[in-house]
Amino acid sequence: MTYAPSSAALKRIEDRIVLYPEKSAALVPVLRVIQEESGSVSREAMAWVAARLAISPLRVREVLSFYTMLRSEPAGKTVIQVCRNISCTLAGAGDVLRFITEKLGIGPGETTPDGAISLVTVECLGNCDHAPCLQVDGVDHGPATRETVAALLEELKAHG
Amino acid sequence: MSETKRVTLAIDGLKVEAAEGTNVIQAAEQAGIAIPHFCYHPALEIEGNCRMCLVEIQGLPKLELACSTVVREGMVVRTASDRVREARKDVLEFLLAEHPLDCPICDKAGECRLQDYYDLHGLSASRMVEPREHRDKLAPIGRGLVLDRERCVLCTRCVRFLRRVTGTGELGVFERGLRSEVGIQEGSPVDNNYSGNLVDICPVGAITSVDFRFKTRAWFLKRKPSVCPHCSRGCAVTVESVEGYPLRRSEKRVYRVTARENPAVNGFWICDVGRDGRHDIDDGRHAAVSEKGALVQGPSWESALAGVAAAMRSVPGPERAGKIAVVLNSRLTCEELALAKGLFVTGLGLGKIFFADRKSGPPDSLLLTSDRMPNAKGVLDAGFTARLPGLGELAGVEVLLVFGPYLLEHFGEADLARALSGVPSKYLFAAHTGPLDRLVDAVFPVAHPAEKTGTYVNIEGIRQSFARAVRPCPGVATEGAILTCLANSLGLSLGAADAR
Amino acid sequence: MAEDTVRLLPSDDGSWRLEDYLRRGGYGAARKALTSMTPKDVIAEVRKAGIRGRGGAGFPAGMKWAFVPPDVSGPKYLCVNADEGEPGTFKDRLILVRAPHQLLEGVIIASFAVGVRTAFVYVRGEYERLALRLEEAVAEARAAGYLGPRLFGTEFGLDVVVHHGAGAYICGEETALLESLEGRRGQPRVKPPFPATVGLFRSPTVVNNVETIANIPQILARGADWFLGRGLPKDSGTRLFGVSGAVRRPGVYELPMGTPLRTIIEVHAGGPPDGKRIKAVIPGGLSAPILKAEEIDVAMDFDSLAHIGSMLGSAGIVVIPDGTPMLDVLHVTARFYAHESCGKCTPCRIGTSWILKTIERLRREGGGPADFDLILRLADGIKARTLCPLGDAAALPILALVSKFRGELEQAVAR
Repeated sequence: MTYAPSSAALKRIEDRIVLYPEKSAALVPVLRVIQEESGSVSREAMAWVAARLAISPLRVREVLSFYTMLRSEPAGKTVIQVCRNISCTLAGAGDVLRFITEKLGIGPGETTPDGAISLVTVECLGNCDHAPCLQVDGVDHGPATRETVAALLEELKAHG
Repeated sequence: MSETKRVTLAIDGLKVEAAEGTNVIQAAEQAGIAIPHFCYHPALEIEGNCRMCLVEIQGLPKLELACSTVVREGMVVRTASDRVREARKDVLEFLLAEHPLDCPICDKAGECRLQDYYDLHGLSASRMVEPREHRDKLAPIGRGLVLDRERCVLCTRCVRFLRRVTGTGELGVFERGLRSEVGIQEGSPVDNNYSGNLVDICPVGAITSVDFRFKTRAWFLKRKPSVCPHCSRGCAVTVESVEGYPLRRSEKRVYRVTARENPAVNGFWICDVGRDGRHDIDDGRHAAVSEKGALVQGPSWESALAGVAAAMRSVPGPERAGKIAVVLNSRLTCEELALAKGLFVTGLGLGKIFFADRKSGPPDSLLLTSDRMPNAKGVLDAGFTARLPGLGELAGVEVLLVFGPYLLEHFGEADLARALSGVPSKYLFAAHTGPLDRLVDAVFPVAHPAEKTGTYVNIEGIRQSFARAVRPCPGVATEGAILTCLANSLGLSLGAADAR
Repeated sequence: MAEDTVRLLPSDDGSWRLEDYLRRGGYGAARKALTSMTPKDVIAEVRKAGIRGRGGAGFPAGMKWAFVPPDVSGPKYLCVNADEGEPGTFKDRLILVRAPHQLLEGVIIASFAVGVRTAFVYVRGEYERLALRLEEAVAEARAAGYLGPRLFGTEFGLDVVVHHGAGAYICGEETALLESLEGRRGQPRVKPPFPATVGLFRSPTVVNNVETIANIPQILARGADWFLGRGLPKDSGTRLFGVSGAVRRPGVYELPMGTPLRTIIEVHAGGPPDGKRIKAVIPGGLSAPILKAEEIDVAMDFDSLAHIGSMLGSAGIVVIPDGTPMLDVLHVTARFYAHESCGKCTPCRIGTSWILKTIERLRREGGGPADFDLILRLADGIKARTLCPLGDAAALPILALVSKFRGELEQAVAR
């Protein structure tokens, strides 16, 4: 079963590769494009990237396994990231996490049975004046309260 | 040739002179001071990850790495101060915190840097009470190599070796932080002719070879230098064998062949062909003289060889050139080739002197040559022309002496049998058993190069002398001894000292 | 002296576009530099201004630029470090969002000074959405000729590439950033060689923080003396101080270097909310050793903080209120560094996790003074021994927390 990115993703990938004097420098951005489209980077996708950038599949896996934001296993359709670093902990991140667990029935590192939402704890998102911080699909949410989180979960349920 | 600038510095009070560009580890080594290290290797890129080689450099506030610090004029280095010892103890304690207490079952025991350094720094029990990370202890990574991830200290020597020396890059480091681990890409195991070096360079027992695992202990091994006979590179090797305790019988056992450093020939490495050649030393060896396929009971070498000499003497002098034929090989040492020349050419005036060697194989881009014999240049130097006989040239031969089993690499058994059937007296001098044994009248067991003392000339003309690394079994003699004995029996003086 | 109302950071993101930037004199400094100065002149001016790196290390920017050998053949690179990962820090994001053109103008000037033709902005993966605005600004600049082959009619051309990371705090360290940009694991390199000689793609490279580069246009436009007129002699200019934690008005405050910490917290950020009092303050991002409430009468500049055993770092101030269990703070700290350790060198890879495991055990099962002695010893084993500053960033805060709050910590785990 071979992998191929969609034509839109392929264009983004090709546009990205030409920016660098060495193709392999595009590795991390290219992996992110693929993950954005497919939810994760499969073994076949890794092989495709390796071939496209003329590097070994081993190196692709080395890099993929290093970075927190890259994953080789599928996650939920939406990933809710909750910061657990200092300012957010002071502002009540623990409570936010407990509330989400209450509502969704999953803990950090888990995915809802219907595959809709994954919950992960992350380190500082760089948005500390809006603590406690969440990031959902790259969008920052904060300060998170039970109300705002409940609203967010409702919206996710409504729009899938 | 440009002159390298020399730099004078002080290491632990000793005045050291080193070439510009030398790092502190190397400069200290020149002064006889060993700075402990795991990740540093002179042939590999500098990583600076183990932090074991930290030393004090006067004028610098922090401890600095000896591996990545280049000597400078007037530098003052202290490698054994309290501060340095403290730093080393900490590194060791960190490593041990995530290292299994495997010493009793680990092959590296006795030659393990972690053990050795721990010993030197007088550390006692670890303060680590937290559970260690549990990882795969038996991950096959290819070529009969096994990776124990609990023992791995992530020095990355293996990864760097495969990137820089073989260029094959089969190993990488995955994950991050404490979860980091060395591994292969699934489906792409280590697969190159230098994989055995990974065991040599692993500073702990993380990479081990199935060939060696659990078979013996490092401290039982007698390590003797030798030269590899499996191609014309002549890599420096160490033959490691056990003699006596704890073997049940007093027979020699070679447990491994490892790389020995020789900057002029092989650098730091040997190839797997040479490494696997350790089996050659023990396996399939003739142990005693046999005649017509049956082991001869009782007679000494001299009496058995007397029969050979008698056969040779029975050919009238003027007819010897055409009726006595000799097949030699390029595994003979220079000294043995000189004896052969003295006996067969100068002494007997033989014309039919041939060479049968192992067939060539594909060379690789590093050390392995296509010529799979160690002394082709030595053969040329001795004035021989190495030529395979045509089977027709054996017609009319009455006495045939064959040294080595390699004729069968060039002729089919049936053809050879037919040609040999017309030779009344035929003798084989070979180290290993084989089909040729059946085709001759008597088989004399000879020594493997590891059991000999002599000289080889390698592909680049470098002469390398080596001493016997393993004692041959009682029934085995060197070709040199055989030639000398034959000469004596024939009343010929070879003018040279006995080959041992 | 008349109050200087010139601000580095606009107060909102309503005027980030090119036309707005031009209207307030944008790209004028770059024009001046490229058309009337030599690269050496520019470096001299920036050196004179004395601006120190605003990422955390505080290395003088002009000096860093001067380390790049001017006459070497082959490409040279500038990498803008937008990997803002130091917990408690959120200032560079505002520059990206509110003043991307100002950043680009700084990039042009710095590139001209060093001889760079391609500059990279390494944006942390978590800021990808924000970085879209920077990419738009780059497109605007290109379209209007402020980036491209011949700027301001000179021979100098420049292109800017916005690159994204993927979640690794360690990539804020300059050599790890370079490794990451080259498409590798973000692990620091052995130094020497330094990036000024062997950097990105083996070429001479300068790595500077976003805020540092964003200051450059104003330094060129108004002169080094103007910049020196604010802040302190050895610590010139203004700084973007981030304040978060227990304060009424968390946010970023642009103030002169040397402003007292207490003033920033109480006057600008409104002090702790009603009923709360300050228990402790982290002055410069999580890597800066914590200060007890009675220690916060200190000037916020590199030397003053170093003098009391802490650091200015990323100027990310986190105010910790009374009632906060310091064991929680210790746990968050240890967990962060263990998670972010790249794993390359022994003391950090093993030490940070060992400390975390110890703290987790203390929380689960309790413990005693010997456990804290162990934590101190482990942190000491990491300090000053590692390949990169992450080791110290882990060790120093942990040492400070355990030393300064020892009594409370022991009580919290006593069973």
